[in-house]
Amino acid sequence: MVSKEEIMKIAILSKLFVGEDEIDGLTEDMDKIIAFADTINNASDEGTDFDNINNLSNVLREDEVIPSYDREKILANAKDSDDGCFLVKNIMK
Amino acid sequence: MSESKIAKLHEMLVSKEISCKELTKQYIDAIEKDNEALNAYVTATPETALETAGKVDEKIAKGENIGLLEGIPMTLKDNISTDGIKTTCCSKILEDYVPIYDATVWNILKNQNAVLLGKTNMDEFAMGSSCETSYFGGAKNPHNVNHVAGGSSGGVASAVGGNLAVYGLGSDTGGSIRQPASFCGIVGLKPTYGAVSRYGLIAYASSFDQIGPITTSVEDTAIVFDAVSQYDEKDSTSQGRKGEPVTATLKNDIKGMKIGIAREYLDGVRDDVKEAIDKAAAVYQSLGAEIVYFDLPALKYALPVYYILACAEASSNLGRYDGIRYGYKADSYFDVNDMIKKTRSNGFGDEVKKRILLGTYVLSSGYYDAYYKKAQNLRGTIVNAFQNAFNVCDVILAPTVPMTAFENGHAVSDPIETYLTDICTVPVNIAGLPGVSVPCGYNSKGMPIGMQLIGNTFGEAKILNAAWQYENAADIFKPTDFGVQL
Repeated sequence: MVSKEEIMKIAILSKLFVGEDEIDGLTEDMDKIIAFADTINNASDEGTDFDNINNLSNVLREDEVIPSYDREKILANAKDSDDGCFLVKNIMK
Repeated sequence: MSESKIAKLHEMLVSKEISCKELTKQYIDAIEKDNEALNAYVTATPETALETAGKVDEKIAKGENIGLLEGIPMTLKDNISTDGIKTTCCSKILEDYVPIYDATVWNILKNQNAVLLGKTNMDEFAMGSSCETSYFGGAKNPHNVNHVAGGSSGGVASAVGGNLAVYGLGSDTGGSIRQPASFCGIVGLKPTYGAVSRYGLIAYASSFDQIGPITTSVEDTAIVFDAVSQYDEKDSTSQGRKGEPVTATLKNDIKGMKIGIAREYLDGVRDDVKEAIDKAAAVYQSLGAEIVYFDLPALKYALPVYYILACAEASSNLGRYDGIRYGYKADSYFDVNDMIKKTRSNGFGDEVKKRILLGTYVLSSGYYDAYYKKAQNLRGTIVNAFQNAFNVCDVILAPTVPMTAFENGHAVSDPIETYLTDICTVPVNIAGLPGVSVPCGYNSKGMPIGMQLIGNTFGEAKILNAAWQYENAADIFKPTDFGVQL
């Protein structure tokens, strides 16, 4: 069973708010989903080390300076910008 | 039979039977008329479409040769970045996002003067199996609008099946190309992981995501796949197509080809779907192929492995949505952390939030080994099981979905029941293999049934060859009454 407290903790890690009105329904759904995920722990198969699909290897190249995107174009998608920078509230006081 | 629409339209353009502008106008008018019923498009781009069509007409007028995809009206799923054209992932959080660069697949097609009609509907961030998690409401099935088009690339399938585009590109993380293609009675290919560049595809689960074509015929799927399967230095997992163009061997004889059926793929599959698969196997036998039955017990882990790993990757990929650089931003907040939380909580829909939470859970301290690590190891088991399967057969035949298209509103009720519908499609993404869905019948209510052909890594040529031979022999495809009737 997954507890409401655990869901609240995971929500903080995920940077999501879970409202009082949502928590019961969400805990119920998450409990079902996690119980379903848990079925892999009934597998007698321990599996095999795996960290790569289709034998890919790292792609390396020289670090070169190439033209990038126009600053104005990038900032056009931001809700708030100032003096060529993204604008956020003070992080440190 | 289902002939190549692309080849037919190309002939019509070259012989000046129709101008590219006239053709494009027909599609634009059809979208205006039928999109209300199908909800396939979320953004239409008629001006740019006509501008491109004008360029193609000029080339034809000057007597210049045009490429096969030049001037052909098409669409892109709304998670494929288009410079200067809104790309929303059908999420409130990206409702007004306008990319400043093109996805590589679109860059390739744009350079060939493909006529982009607009961007199509999808489940929010490609998370869903019915298109109903879309912020803009779901796309409807052109065979019966009381049923869903499927998901997540429901808009592309609805548009192509409803003749509102000749072809489209979707993305497939756990079945999102093949399942809607199956539901809408058309063809959809999920290529081998790495065959098509993911650059500019808004990420859901990066080790599963692949872009691929949705079309009305196997030949069109082959043509589009050949065009977009190029190596791309901007995607570190890109390998491009291996070997010659798949169109070169598409119509080859398949006598002696070994077609495998894994018994586990038929567990829990509805009777009408099972019957259609049996009939397809008989068609293959009549074509001289050999049917081989085998067991693939590792399949029983596929669904939980998929949901654990895909959600883990999603929780990381979707960490970037913070309201600062692009997309929706909460209106009022007291500090940066509060702004990020409010932005994400108001901007993401319920299914996306659930998957982020599950992903965070399985990656969090104390649960990592039991879930993420274990699922990753079982992914290895599944990869090996498929490798062994390809020692006894050339391609695997399976249902695409255990059922036909759900009625509207059905999929949103029970989360697990909805996840179970992905049982036949997710193994291919787990193992990075190519899989194509081809129409293979209709149920008693006239809703399409799809079958899947699965190949070994970079085995697109073989599965499309087998798919074309079946399509040609069985003659299943039925066009719908929507859209442009050629």
